[in-house]
Amino acid sequence: MVEDLTRRQAFFESDAVDQLVTMVLELAAEQWVLRERMYVIEKAADRLGLPLGDAVESYRFSDGDKATLAAMRKTMIDNLMRSVNREHRRTRPAGTA
Amino acid sequence: MPLELNHELKIPLDRDAAARQDFVSQLRGYILNDMAAAMRSSYETSVAPAFEREHGRPPATQDEVHDAMRSNTYFKFYSSVRYNAQEMVWRSVMPGVERELPRMEAKIQALSGSSGGTLSLDPTLPIPENVAGIPVHLMPGGYAPGESPAAGAVYDNGLAVFSAGFMGRNLDDIGLSMANYVKFRHPDFAPTKILDCGATVGHNTAAWAATFPQAEVHAIDVSASAVTYGHGRAESLGVPIHFKQMDATELKYPDASFDVVFTSMFLHELSVPDIRKFMAEAHRVLRPGGMLINMELPPNGALQPYDQFYLDWDSYYNMEPYYRTYRDQNPSGLLAAAGFAGEDHFQFVVPQYSYMAESDFIAAIRGEQRIDGDTGRLSASLQWFGFGAWKR
Repeated sequence: MVEDLTRRQAFFESDAVDQLVTMVLELAAEQWVLRERMYVIEKAADRLGLPLGDAVESYRFSDGDKATLAAMRKTMIDNLMRSVNREHRRTRPAGTA
Repeated sequence: MPLELNHELKIPLDRDAAARQDFVSQLRGYILNDMAAAMRSSYETSVAPAFEREHGRPPATQDEVHDAMRSNTYFKFYSSVRYNAQEMVWRSVMPGVERELPRMEAKIQALSGSSGGTLSLDPTLPIPENVAGIPVHLMPGGYAPGESPAAGAVYDNGLAVFSAGFMGRNLDDIGLSMANYVKFRHPDFAPTKILDCGATVGHNTAAWAATFPQAEVHAIDVSASAVTYGHGRAESLGVPIHFKQMDATELKYPDASFDVVFTSMFLHELSVPDIRKFMAEAHRVLRPGGMLINMELPPNGALQPYDQFYLDWDSYYNMEPYYRTYRDQNPSGLLAAAGFAGEDHFQFVVPQYSYMAESDFIAAIRGEQRIDGDTGRLSASLQWFGFGAWKR
């Protein structure tokens, strides 16, 4: 794909915020693509005689499922928030104030 | 939702690509309606009152509005999201265009001449800096990177995503609204030769051909890519259009050649000196009794400061360097300088022909339509602005 190599417009005081907005929107687009595909998978399975949507909705989690999912959520949240609760340092070259 | 293109050059999409385009298109609709309304509310309830407390008066110019808005958080998010969405429009269509390019080029060759149209390229034509030098509309590579129809295809497919369903079934609502305005306001006017300048791929040219089927219709653009793709597209749609690679500021047509010279969203791509050159050329190639008609964004002089600021966002952030300088002009002044007599000037506002019954459209153009904050804005209550002049 042809890339635009001109400088991008910034709107926030820090370019990092503009870059994060781009990342969030690209993730949102990708998340939508996956969600739509899952929707189609359920509908297509229905047509093939596999009532996948109903099976998903009626599925009841066992205690083991709940524990597994809770651990998966915890890991996901830990990963998502891993930078938030930590101090950040700004490394300076040796010998500078 | 993006419009599905209705011709043989359209890019086949897999499900993921289609879902991505749907997302981007709907995101744009959200930005231009929901976020735009929220940003205006933030201006009215927070930014403007703060300005008034400091200055003892409300903002009087778009520059004052813009300066006051720069530090507003909602403006930053609106702008950042809109800028990203613009990039995402092109990114959502470019992989498909690159994949299909060989097939598309072969298809254009196969279609050429099948509907009576022609294509004429001019490899010696200098490409103006305002087209060749910058990625207008943030479209990577710009509109005139060479003779490959790729840029035209990116524009056509991208506009289908960009327009969020607001620009007609064949992305031709501007042309249909303008041509039908002429047809119903001037029922005795029967043009036999029509020229569309800065036509890109001819979305709106085809609308003139459909509205005045007896007319010979020409479309010019400096971009070889746009007219090559446009030729294939028009042939596929069964519309005979004569596409030529040509600069509207130096038309290669004899004097008194056309009954109509039309532009849409074109003047704001030109510097003011080039607008003047184009209008003089339009006057020259028009026959006596012919008409120059331009669909454009409304002039800043007809809008409130906030609406000026809102429409001129593109000038600052969407690689539209002449957007504002054009809109700062007085349309009548431009026409007069080109030789059109003042009493022959006209300007008007029309609703969208594509989305209403023809009888309602006719009733609307016979009534008085006023420029408002939705004129020229892609929104649910969009209306188009036009102006021009008759040549004596």
